[in-house]
Amino acid sequence: MTVKQFFKSTAFKCILVLTCIALVAGGLLAILNDVLYISPEERTQRAIKKIYGKEVGFTELNVAGENGEYAQFSSNQYGNIDNAFKLEDGNYLIKSTGTEGYKGGSVTMWIVAKFQDGQFQGLDKVIVEGYEKQTLMSNFKASFYEVYTSNNDHILGGGMFGNASSDGVMGNLTSGATFSSNAVNRSINCALVYIRNVLATGGVQ
Amino acid sequence: MTGKKFKNISMDGLFRNNPTLRLVLGTCPTLALTTSAMNGIGMGLAVTFILLCSNTLISLLRKVIPNEVRIPSFVLIIATFVTIVRMVMEKFIPDLYSALGVYLPLIVVNCIILGRAESFASKNPVLDSSLDGIFTGLGFTWALTMIGAIREILGSGSIFGLELWSFKIEFFTSAAGAFFTYGVVIALFNGLFASIENRKRRKEFKLLYPSYEVDLPNKDKSENKIAKEAK
Repeated sequence: MTVKQFFKSTAFKCILVLTCIALVAGGLLAILNDVLYISPEERTQRAIKKIYGKEVGFTELNVAGENGEYAQFSSNQYGNIDNAFKLEDGNYLIKSTGTEGYKGGSVTMWIVAKFQDGQFQGLDKVIVEGYEKQTLMSNFKASFYEVYTSNNDHILGGGMFGNASSDGVMGNLTSGATFSSNAVNRSINCALVYIRNVLATGGVQ
Repeated sequence: MTGKKFKNISMDGLFRNNPTLRLVLGTCPTLALTTSAMNGIGMGLAVTFILLCSNTLISLLRKVIPNEVRIPSFVLIIATFVTIVRMVMEKFIPDLYSALGVYLPLIVVNCIILGRAESFASKNPVLDSSLDGIFTGLGFTWALTMIGAIREILGSGSIFGLELWSFKIEFFTSAAGAFFTYGVVIALFNGLFASIENRKRRKEFKLLYPSYEVDLPNKDKSENKIAKEAK
């Protein structure tokens, strides 16, 4: 096939048409992507509104501290603190990931910690942000999550959450999803460690 | 375009060839997203917009696109519009965007859109194709909204998010409830459709053969037999 024949062939026409469509589509999407860009701040504001139920001003905290002095609490034996925000009404919003779930996966939770005059008052809301490898998360009922917000006496007394009721650990388990329950408990415990050791002591501001 | 053609296209999209209730296409979003009427409307309107845009563009390019790369070209065009809808929804209607979840990008492979592109838009003029896109989309929208409303009323005791009563049958919000509701709605719609068509046929038959007092059965075979006898 000569070059002239190639340019007259159906194969060339096919390549040309597909390339043109792809280029126009790509260009259009690039422009729209720029126009409809959602900034990280806007995403955070939306997430806060969804969790908190209203728009509220916030300040993002450096979870590990300026010089990493709180790194041991932001990344503790239960998991990691991904983000923490101080809300303008004095409460804190924490995004915490609990590890050791089903198949080594994790569960990430948003937690609203109530504070009054700088004093920790307990947990107000817990909402699942996302999870990895946890296939039974849809089995979790609202009552499972209510345990964390309706036992503030246990929390303020230094208690934690787990599968068994022993040594100050309050049992919270969804039958058939032990590992996923464990990951949720670990996520809450991770946040509690951070709240007690950093936020309640006036650590990061 | 004649009035008859417009009527045909609109009636096909909305009722006669309703993608959800007559052709049983787009079943995946129908079952998964109809937990509420609002989700049904949202998904339906997104599909309508994509159908309108893709049908129009495919019809415009129908003489340019070689037959050999027809399907990849259609998918490329549809995927572009789906991505645009995703971006717009995420920016302006974030709640609906998260409610539709993975089913929004999956519109790319929705058989209603590819089906209309292949069977209608690639063979018909632009105006006809655009109208076909609008009415097929609206047919999909009303079917999804109706199934969503039934499931929301029975499963959550509310409609469009407004609480009606505290009585709930949780079965209707489950996957099994989705199959059950979809099946019942298809059966009722097709039963109603068949009876209307029958009545119409009987009327036409009576106009042709006024002296015949027959109870016309459902199918064409018997109709032909009677017609032959009449001749």
